[in-house]
Amino acid sequence: MEFAINYVVAPLIKIVIILAILPLLVAALTLFERKVIAFMQVRLGPMRVGPWGLLQPIADPIKLLLKEDIIPERADRWIFVTAPIITLIPAFIVFAVIPFGPSINVFGTPVNLYVTDLNIGVLYVLSVSSVGVLGIILAGWASNSKYPLLGALRSAAQMVSYEVALGFSIMGVLMMAGTLSLVEIVEAQRNAGWWFVFLQPLGFILFFICGVAETNRAPFDLPEAESELVAGFHTEYSGFRFSLFFLAEYAAMIVISSMAVTLFWGGWLRPFPNVEALAFLDVVPPIVWFAAKVVVFLYCYLWFRASWPRYRYDQLMKIGWRYLLPLAIANVIVTAVLVIVFGEPQ
Amino acid sequence: MKVRRPELNLLKKIFLVDLIKGLLLTFSYQRPSANYTEQYPKQRPKISERFRGAPRLNNDPVTGETLCIACNLCALACPEHCIEVGWERDAAGKKVLTTYTFDLSRCMFCGLCEDACPTPCLELTQEFELSLYGRRDMKLDRQKLEEGIQPLVYTK
Repeated sequence: MEFAINYVVAPLIKIVIILAILPLLVAALTLFERKVIAFMQVRLGPMRVGPWGLLQPIADPIKLLLKEDIIPERADRWIFVTAPIITLIPAFIVFAVIPFGPSINVFGTPVNLYVTDLNIGVLYVLSVSSVGVLGIILAGWASNSKYPLLGALRSAAQMVSYEVALGFSIMGVLMMAGTLSLVEIVEAQRNAGWWFVFLQPLGFILFFICGVAETNRAPFDLPEAESELVAGFHTEYSGFRFSLFFLAEYAAMIVISSMAVTLFWGGWLRPFPNVEALAFLDVVPPIVWFAAKVVVFLYCYLWFRASWPRYRYDQLMKIGWRYLLPLAIANVIVTAVLVIVFGEPQ
Repeated sequence: MKVRRPELNLLKKIFLVDLIKGLLLTFSYQRPSANYTEQYPKQRPKISERFRGAPRLNNDPVTGETLCIACNLCALACPEHCIEVGWERDAAGKKVLTTYTFDLSRCMFCGLCEDACPTPCLELTQEFELSLYGRRDMKLDRQKLEEGIQPLVYTK
């Protein structure tokens, strides 16, 4: 009985909650994006649907779902249909390991605010979130049309340039924490007394740059590049299938933001978790700290999009191979030496 | 041919100074006072005092009679000949206005008629919502001119 509750019922409930909340978060994020970017461009953004356009995220999905679903005649039908699903699923299942907070008590029983605590959590996140790009490449190929194909090509070029640096940028954190489990990494930051971003500033910057590249957001939105490639890989997609891509992209943004928070910004911990004088900050529940930090990073995504022009894809490869990768390796070596000399931060 | 690029200071390059400058600029534009959008149909836009819009024939605010003395100067001043003034003489031999036609479809809103008018009667108002369904409707008669074009009230 206990086994069933611990390993079947509780995880199922958590999974259902995540699957239900995530699309709502994405919908809210689209409104947030339009509003933030509008204000940065001295506009007001959506104002008509509901007060201050607050009901826009409800109107948009309804419109998308009611639209005609078109599959081009010359498209590779089978791959065309599966590609959005291949992109969507990895973006969702990554949430299985992301810790939203420590255990809380629900009716006297402790409940962990994560679905599972994999001992190879970081590896899982890195590998699964890379699969999403495969869907993009397949979509571009299956559409049998020139703009999606160009988008897919760029996506492939983009993937080889950021993926390696992304892995290396995290390695410093892993050496300091001495574990791959996301929960234990957060605990290690509590023990160290510092969020890892203060010990690994370069690693964090590299991670976030690569993260932006992985989610195909500006200034690395090459596969979409609406000013050059119409809509890139999802040019031929409409209605429901398009909304799957949309959902995947925004879910991936939330994933990368959550990962940045978990690895570098102390997860659910309050600022300076070891300073007793700041104990009054514990009034705010840990999950709220986590959410607030994630929102800051989502805001950064939108901020970047409103500020910077898109890189050419040869420039992206140059950044990836000539700057990000050597810097990441240097960061790994320096961290390794320091960890050996001074020991893991305790 | 080698393209000359503006030289970047090494430190500036390392600390991504130009990128951060761009970020700060967009951040500062978020302040509500910088916002430019007017919610047009709900909110009347601010229109310049010297804007010349829909014509109107003003009546005397006390007696309610027209201020027009049917002098025909506006019709003579109009470069497009879009004004026609009709009048008749009363018992004292004084001109009295009967009809007045203003063809909006040919009007270029130069304001010469307004300048020529010796009384404060003919006025090009601030009203700008002039779209109509046909050219026929653009010939405004005396009654319409005295009422002036009313702004549409947006309810939705």
